Amino acid sequence: MSQHLIIIAAVAYLILLFAVAYLVEHTGGRVSRLTGSSLVYTLSLAVYCSSWTFNGGVGRASQSGLDFLPIYLGPTLAFCLGPIVIRRMLKISHAHRITSIADLIGARFGKSGGLAALVTIIAVIGLVPYIALQLKSISSGFAVLSASGEAADVGTKPVLTDGALWSAIVLTVFAMLFGSRSIHPREHHPGMVVAVALESILKLISLTAIGLFIGYGLFNGFGDLFSKAAAIPDIRSIFAHSPDRYGYNWIAMTLLAMVAVFCLPRQFQIMVVENVDERHLNRALWLFPLYLLAINLFVLPIAIAGRMMLPTDTDPDNLVLAVPLASGYPIVALIAFLGGLSAAASMVVVETTALSLMVCNDVVMPALLRVKALGLERKADLTSLLLWVRRLVMIGVMGLGYLYMRHDSAQFALVSIGLMSFVAVAQFAPAIIGGLFWRGATKAGAFAGISTGFLVWVYTLLFPSFARSGALTMDFIAHGPFGIALLKPYALFGLQGLDPVTHSTFWSLIANVGCFVGVSLAGRQSPVERAHAAMFVEAVHPGDAAQIWRRTALIPDLMSLASRFLGREKAASAYAEWAAKRGLDARTVVQADTQTVLFYERLLAGVIGAASARVLVDAIVEEEPLGVDEIMRILDETSRVIEANRQLEEKSRALEAATAELKEANDRLQLLDRLKDDFVATVNHELRTPLSSIRAFSEILRDHPDLTLGERHEFLRIVITESERLTRLINQLLDLSKIEASGTVPRADVPVDLATIARESAAALDQVFATNGVALHLEIETPSALVLGDHDRLVQVLINLLGNAAKFALPGSGHAHLTLSRTGNTFELAVGDNGPGIRQKDRKVVFERFRQLGDTMNDKPHGAGLGLAISQRIVMQHGGRIWIEESRFGGALFKVSLPCAPSKGRRAKAKALQNAAVS
Amino acid sequence: MLRRTVRRDRMVGLFAAGALLFNPPILNLIGGTVFGWPALYLYIFGVWIALIAAAAFILEQGSDNEERRPDETRR
Repeated sequence: MSQHLIIIAAVAYLILLFAVAYLVEHTGGRVSRLTGSSLVYTLSLAVYCSSWTFNGGVGRASQSGLDFLPIYLGPTLAFCLGPIVIRRMLKISHAHRITSIADLIGARFGKSGGLAALVTIIAVIGLVPYIALQLKSISSGFAVLSASGEAADVGTKPVLTDGALWSAIVLTVFAMLFGSRSIHPREHHPGMVVAVALESILKLISLTAIGLFIGYGLFNGFGDLFSKAAAIPDIRSIFAHSPDRYGYNWIAMTLLAMVAVFCLPRQFQIMVVENVDERHLNRALWLFPLYLLAINLFVLPIAIAGRMMLPTDTDPDNLVLAVPLASGYPIVALIAFLGGLSAAASMVVVETTALSLMVCNDVVMPALLRVKALGLERKADLTSLLLWVRRLVMIGVMGLGYLYMRHDSAQFALVSIGLMSFVAVAQFAPAIIGGLFWRGATKAGAFAGISTGFLVWVYTLLFPSFARSGALTMDFIAHGPFGIALLKPYALFGLQGLDPVTHSTFWSLIANVGCFVGVSLAGRQSPVERAHAAMFVEAVHPGDAAQIWRRTALIPDLMSLASRFLGREKAASAYAEWAAKRGLDARTVVQADTQTVLFYERLLAGVIGAASARVLVDAIVEEEPLGVDEIMRILDETSRVIEANRQLEEKSRALEAATAELKEANDRLQLLDRLKDDFVATVNHELRTPLSSIRAFSEILRDHPDLTLGERHEFLRIVITESERLTRLINQLLDLSKIEASGTVPRADVPVDLATIARESAAALDQVFATNGVALHLEIETPSALVLGDHDRLVQVLINLLGNAAKFALPGSGHAHLTLSRTGNTFELAVGDNGPGIRQKDRKVVFERFRQLGDTMNDKPHGAGLGLAISQRIVMQHGGRIWIEESRFGGALFKVSLPCAPSKGRRAKAKALQNAAVS
Repeated sequence: MLRRTVRRDRMVGLFAAGALLFNPPILNLIGGTVFGWPALYLYIFGVWIALIAAAAFILEQGSDNEERRPDETRR
């Protein structure tokens, strides 16, 4: 196939991709909404499948069967833990506007610029081989396709005719167009995302098409392919049953792939930074593994077919192209080439974009900002500087990749190079996972862990790769430095039997985790570090922790700072949005509070990274640095204020309750006071009335000796009656005071028969009823009604009630009734009459002392008003109650209920119990 | 709707099952061919697709409700 055709196809394809990206970013409507879909998010995550997958996977499969698969099983397993790990990474990164993996680690450990720079440098060094891999894959693919026949020695051709150089240049331009055209406050590149998603579709279609072409075009289905393969002993042995075929290497690769899927800068870029909606993750968690499965489905058949059809000296990494080419279908080979190009291009674009962000934000800008001579702090607009730094970084990274490829990678298979990079980025995993879930992780620990792990990686993987390419002597690998066998880079401390990658994974991660945990445990956290740890581990919103730093600044200062990096318009609109959200008036507020300062810092962090943003904002902010004591004091004060507030509330509630009680008591006292006055007045009146009449009649008897005998007798009878009334009154008063003073009456605790009492009382008042012309009906429904109590007192109650009935029944035609009945365990006595009755509102008050109904001024009182009060107290002391109802004759109906006496046995028991209790 | 913690726990369970089934020594128990196809190839892809199906079932259950809920996570 002619070179021109291939070049035209490749360039046309790249231009098509760019057109799509341009459309997404510059036209509204349906195209630009593509980024808001979980499907596009998932497909863009498939940037994970670089040309390593496309060409390297097949190469690996043709050599050793299925052990290319851990690289995809690892991410599948990692995504099972996605709801815990990835979700937290997303949340925290969005809250803090984190834009790269270096930013994340730096921000977690106290916005440490040094740590972020270390991570960045490791990422660049670790990923250069990976980028070289893509270049190598493209150029060797190009070589195979253009039938130059020199595929195996791409690294040896003159520079200018080297396809890899041109592909490097084209890809760099492409990356600059996508990744560094403008500054966006969140570093979103929607065009790039959609283009990557499109490339993911293309590489899947391409690999599937080749798989189907081989399965059904060259063979009669996959069953045929596999059975033919089984006839070849070499291949059969790969699938034969073997108890120890896969061991530590398989496990190590799974582990590496698990952590790489979120530690690789390009994965972080797509998964976290370019994520526009956290809910997309939910679907991606299963859809992305499905994509991985789909793209790997035909890798093994293609590899086996290649192994059977091609001479054994073919470069295994070019099988995908070589099979269709060898079977005479150059068009299929071209599709395969474009698929591989897709895979490589998307990986290179996203990786260099992510790396350029990291280098620019975490290494170059902090350094430039510290050089006072440049005067960057006074420059009005730094956006173009930022962009150019990023573009230069992209060129630099690409250049390094190209150099590495030319000098070192020729001898390696794609998969080995890729795995080397995986081990390098895996060094970030302990710090990230520890940082997100372990409060005690310290900055020193992270520093020690990452740097130790990286040094071990350099020693056990990177140096030997130089040695194998001739930059160092092979003695270094074979005998160790200076002939020290214990330090052989592929068998450190005598650890043998592992392949170099597994060996390096083991030692570097052991050293990394050991130093990270050990130093963290041994050291102490600064207060600021502790605050950051709390923010990350407990996913506290940064605003809530803002009060740890008391920082103020002038809004115009912050504004001009932000516009230098974002451009005036974007800075102004971002602030306006913020001000509206917080209800600030953007035109009048001049002093920025802590929250606003934090907002600006995060806004800047989105562009230039957390560490640089911290440095810049600190320069214009008046900060009151807080020591441990002060932070503790703030926390303490806060909790004390809260506690005091709570106590105050409690007290005021108690006070309210007490006030209400007092008011009630006061009302009751006032009532009692009035009643006492009334009582005294009434007693005075009641005692005076009989006394005065006694005195009057006595004087008449003394002064008029001429009175007739009948008159004398009459007057003396009155004197005696009045004296009796007086005596009765005094007795009642004594009774009442006795009852009220002691609360009890001497009560004979013996069974008495209410029926007998009723009959006695009725008989006692026979004369009174007869005198008043009132007929009394006695209805006793139970033969005997035993209650425990005092016979005389109960008689007193009944006489009082009957007396009232006699008094108030209609004179002349009056009738009254006394009934005794039993309901359940109580006896009920009812005394009714046909008198005027008692109004509803008076039915309670008649039981108060001296409470006489009617107008006391006009009516002559019918009694002392003590009878009912005494009756009520007696009934209550017998465990019963007294109340008033409407009589069926219109008058009052007094009801008394008393509990039945327990049966003989029970009574004895109760008595015994009582005695026991007393003694 | 499936509560988030329940879903998380089930995914962790899925991870444990996957880690066990995809790694030696269990992996080394499979070998030879089934109907002319390599048994390990069928085993891995079979377990893989089952794992993804289970994950999809767990994650998509009740996720419609979640879609409609206002986004509280980003203030």
